Amino acid sequence: GTDSESKVTTLRIGHTLDTQHSVHKAMEYFGARVAELSGGTIEVKIYPGSQLGNEREMIELLQIGSLSMTKVSASPLEGFVPAMKIFSIPYIFRDNAHFWTVLNSHIGKTLLQEVEPFRLKGLAYYDAGSRSFYSNNKPIHSPADLAGMKIRVLNSPTAVRTVRELGGAATPVSWGELYTALQQGVVDGAENNPPSYYLSRHYEIARYYSLDEHTSVPDIMLMSLRTWDNLSAQQQAWVSEAMQDSVLFQRQAWQQSTAESLAKVKADGVEVIYPDKTLFVEAVKPFHESLRDTEVGALISEIKAL
Amino acid sequence: MDYTAIALIVTFFVLLLLNVPISFSIGIATLVAMLLSIDFTPAVTTIAQRMAGGLDSFALLAIPFFVLSGMIMGRGGIAKRLINCALALIGSLPGGLALVNVVSCMLFGAISGSAVATTSAIGSFMLPEMKKQGYDENFSAAVTAAASTTGMLIPPSNILIVYAIASGGVSIAALFMAGYLPGVMVGLALMVVCFIHAKRKGYATTARLPLKVVLQQVGAALPSLFLIILVIGGIVGGIFTATEAGAIAVVYSLILAVGVYREVTPKQLPDILLKSGETTAIVMLLIGASTAMSWMLSYANIPQNISEFMLDISDNPIVILLLINLLLIVVGAFLDMTPAVLIFTPIFLPVAAELGMSPLQFGIMIVLNLSIGLCSPPVGAVLFITCAIAKTRLDKIIKPLLPLYAAMFVVLMLVTYVAWFSEALPALFGV
Amino acid sequence: MRKVIRLLDQFVAGILMLAMTLILLTVVWQVISRYVLADPASVTEELSRFLLIWIGLLGAAFAYRQKVHLGFNLIVEKQPPERRKYILTLVELLVIIFCASTLLFGGAQLVSLTLELEQISAALGVRMGYVYIVLPLSGALIICYGLINIHNLWLADEEEAW
Ligand code: NA
Ligand code: NA
Repeated sequence: GTDSESKVTTLRIGHTLDTQHSVHKAMEYFGARVAELSGGTIEVKIYPGSQLGNEREMIELLQIGSLSMTKVSASPLEGFVPAMKIFSIPYIFRDNAHFWTVLNSHIGKTLLQEVEPFRLKGLAYYDAGSRSFYSNNKPIHSPADLAGMKIRVLNSPTAVRTVRELGGAATPVSWGELYTALQQGVVDGAENNPPSYYLSRHYEIARYYSLDEHTSVPDIMLMSLRTWDNLSAQQQAWVSEAMQDSVLFQRQAWQQSTAESLAKVKADGVEVIYPDKTLFVEAVKPFHESLRDTEVGALISEIKAL
Repeated sequence: MDYTAIALIVTFFVLLLLNVPISFSIGIATLVAMLLSIDFTPAVTTIAQRMAGGLDSFALLAIPFFVLSGMIMGRGGIAKRLINCALALIGSLPGGLALVNVVSCMLFGAISGSAVATTSAIGSFMLPEMKKQGYDENFSAAVTAAASTTGMLIPPSNILIVYAIASGGVSIAALFMAGYLPGVMVGLALMVVCFIHAKRKGYATTARLPLKVVLQQVGAALPSLFLIILVIGGIVGGIFTATEAGAIAVVYSLILAVGVYREVTPKQLPDILLKSGETTAIVMLLIGASTAMSWMLSYANIPQNISEFMLDISDNPIVILLLINLLLIVVGAFLDMTPAVLIFTPIFLPVAAELGMSPLQFGIMIVLNLSIGLCSPPVGAVLFITCAIAKTRLDKIIKPLLPLYAAMFVVLMLVTYVAWFSEALPALFGV
Repeated sequence: MRKVIRLLDQFVAGILMLAMTLILLTVVWQVISRYVLADPASVTEELSRFLLIWIGLLGAAFAYRQKVHLGFNLIVEKQPPERRKYILTLVELLVIIFCASTLLFGGAQLVSLTLELEQISAALGVRMGYVYIVLPLSGALIICYGLINIHNLWLADEEEAW
C-alpha cells in the first residue's frame, strides 16, 4: 500500500544468502546509496536467508507483485527465460575479463532485457565467480579422475549434462541434505564457487578443491516490473544509479571474499588443485558441437567472437 | 507489537475457539493480517504460492514414508511382539506391567515415529492387561500417554523432520542422533515414577520367565527391532539420506508384515495407503498454512521484534531459556506439536542462537517441551486416545499425570542447560 | 446427488492412493539408481517433491471430507444443540470463504500466471502451472465438501446425509 503521510517508498528485497555474504552487503550498500540519492524518500528493507522463499519462488513473488526485488542466480531463471541457459554451458568464457566483457556488451544487456516480457525488470549482474569441483576421497586433476564419481549437481538438465560430459555420475541432492550426503558418502563430491564451498563448510568434509572453473553463472538483480513501473522517472534513475554503484562494490567484495575463502580452506589443510583446464575444455567440445545449430549455439559463437 | 501481529493473533485465537480446524485458522489469520498491508489479489496469490511452496521440500518426503511404515507396522503384529519382548525382560520387576508399557512405547515409538500410532498400538494391548492385574486405569492411561511421546525424540521422528524444515536446514541425520539420549532419559525418568508408584501401591509382579522363553520372545521381536538398525545404519553408512530412509523403512515393513508375519494382506494395502495419505495431508496442510504465516511474520519483521523484546527483558541465558520453556509449555497445552514447532521455531530459535545455543540442542529442547504439551490437557491427541481406550475421563488422569510431568520436566531442564545430552552422540557418529 | 458425491469421493481417494504409490516408487528408484545401478536418476528428486504437493493439497480436501483436520472443540461441544448448529455453519462458511479466496482464486491466479509466462520446472521440464493446478482443484473440492456439510447440518437427518 502507499503511505500518504510520509511518502516514503519501501523497496523490499529478498534473497537466500546469509548476512555475511557479499551480495547482502552489496544490497545494504544499494540501500544506503538509494536513500542518499532520494533524500530518504526511498527506503530498502532486506530479507535474508530465504525467509520469503527460494530463488524460483521469489521470482514468482515479483511477478505476483508482493515483493519488489530479489537476487537470483541465472540458473533458476532458465525456467522463465530459456535464453539464460547460456550461462550453464561449461567453458564459454575464456576468463573473468572475457566474462565481464560479455556481460557489459550488447549480449549481456539484451539478456537482461529479455526478462521484461515475464513481468520482471533486470537491473544488473552481480559476480558469482566460477564453479569448480570438490571431492572427498580423491583429487580431481583431469576429467578422467571424475569417472564413476557421484557428483552432486544443480537440478537442471544442462548441469546434469555438463557433469556427464566430463565423466562423472550427476546426482541431484537437495542443498539442505548436501553436507550430510557428502559426509556419509551418498555423493563423492559436488561443485560450487569458493565462497559457497567455504561458507557451507563443505570443505570440512570434501578436502580436495579442484579449480577447473567449468561454469560462470552470474547473479542477477531483479525488480518486479510492477514496482518499476510505479516508480517515477526520477526514482528509476536513482535506483539505476545506486544499483550501478552497488555492482562495483559487489564485484570488489566478491573478489575479496573469493581470495579469503581460498586462503581459509588452504589454511585448514584443504588441497587446492589448479588443474590443466584444456583437458576439461576438450571434454566438453562434443557438448558445444551438439548445440551448433540451435539458438544457444549461435549465441555461443557470438560470445566466443568477443 | 504492531497492529499486524495483533490482528494475526486475535483472529487466530477466535477462530481456534470456534473450532475452525487449526490449519484453516492459521490460513485465515494470515489472510486477514496480509490484507492490512498488501492488495487483495497479490495477497491471496502469495498465500496460495506459499502453501504449495511450503510442501515443495525433499526433506518433508520422510513424513508420508514414516507415517506409512508406522501404519503397516501397527497393523502387522509388530506391537504384540515388542510387548512380549519387554514383558519377558522386565515384567517381573515391581510395577512390571507399567515398566513394560513404557519400554514398549519407547520401542514402538522408535520405529513408528508417531506418538498417536504408538498410543493406539501399545495402549490397546497394555491397558486391558494392566487393568486385569489390578492397576488403576487412570494411572495406566497417564503412563501410556506420557510414554508414547518418547518416540518423538527417539528416531525416526516426524516432528524432528518438521523442526529441521522450520529451523532452515539443521541436518536431519544429526537431529536423529541427538534425540536418542534425551528420549531414553525421558523413558527412564517415567520408569522411575512407575517403579515408586507400584512399590507404594504394592502391585503384584508377574513370575520370572525361564531363560529359554525370554530368549524366544526377544528373538521374535528382533526382526522388528532391526528396522532401527536399518534406518540409522543406512543413514550413517551413506547408503541413503535421512529422507530416503523413510522409503526404505516402508519397503522393509511391507516385507515383514505382508511377507513374513502375514498379518497384513495385499488386499488391505489400498486402505493403508489412503489412510496414511490422509494423515500426511493433515500435517502437510498445517505446514503449508504455517509457511504462509511465517512469510507474513517475516514480512512484518515480527520475529526480530519479539526476539529483541525478549533479549531486553534479561540478558541472563538461564532466565530467558526458562521463560521460553514455560511459554512453550503453555502453548503446548493448547496447540498440537506440528503447528507449535512451525510457528515458534522461527520466533525463538534466533533468541536461543543469540544466547549461544546450537540449533541442534534447541530442536531437542522444543520437541521435548512440546512432548509434555502433547500429553497435557485440554488439547492432545494421545490423551484422547488413551482415555478412550482406558474408558476414563480427561479430568481423572490429570492427577496421576502430575508426577510424570515432573519427571519429564527434570529431563527438559537437563536438556536445556546441558548441551552434552543433545550433542554428544551426533559428534561421536560424526553426523 | 448422493451418487455424484460418492463418485467424487472415489475419484479423490483414487488419485491420493495413486500419488502415494508413485511417491514411494520414485524415492525407492532414486536409491536403487544411485546405489545399485550407479547411474543416478536426475528427475526423481523433483518428481517426488511435486507429488508431495499434490498429496498434501488433494489429501487436505480428502481429510476435510473425513472431518479429521485437527481442531479445538471443547467449547463448541458444550453449547446447546441449536446454537452449536449455527456455530458449525459459521465455521463451514469461514472455511469456504478462505478456500474460495485463497486456494481457488489465488491458486487460479498463480496457475494462469505461470502458464501464461510459460514457467518450466528445472529437471522434468513440465509447466509449473500443472503442478500448481492442485491449489484451485483442492480449493473447489473443499468448498463442495463445506456445502455438503452445511446441507447435512440443516436439511438432512442421518439417513439423508450426503
Ligand atoms: Na521415533
Ligand atoms: Na496439549
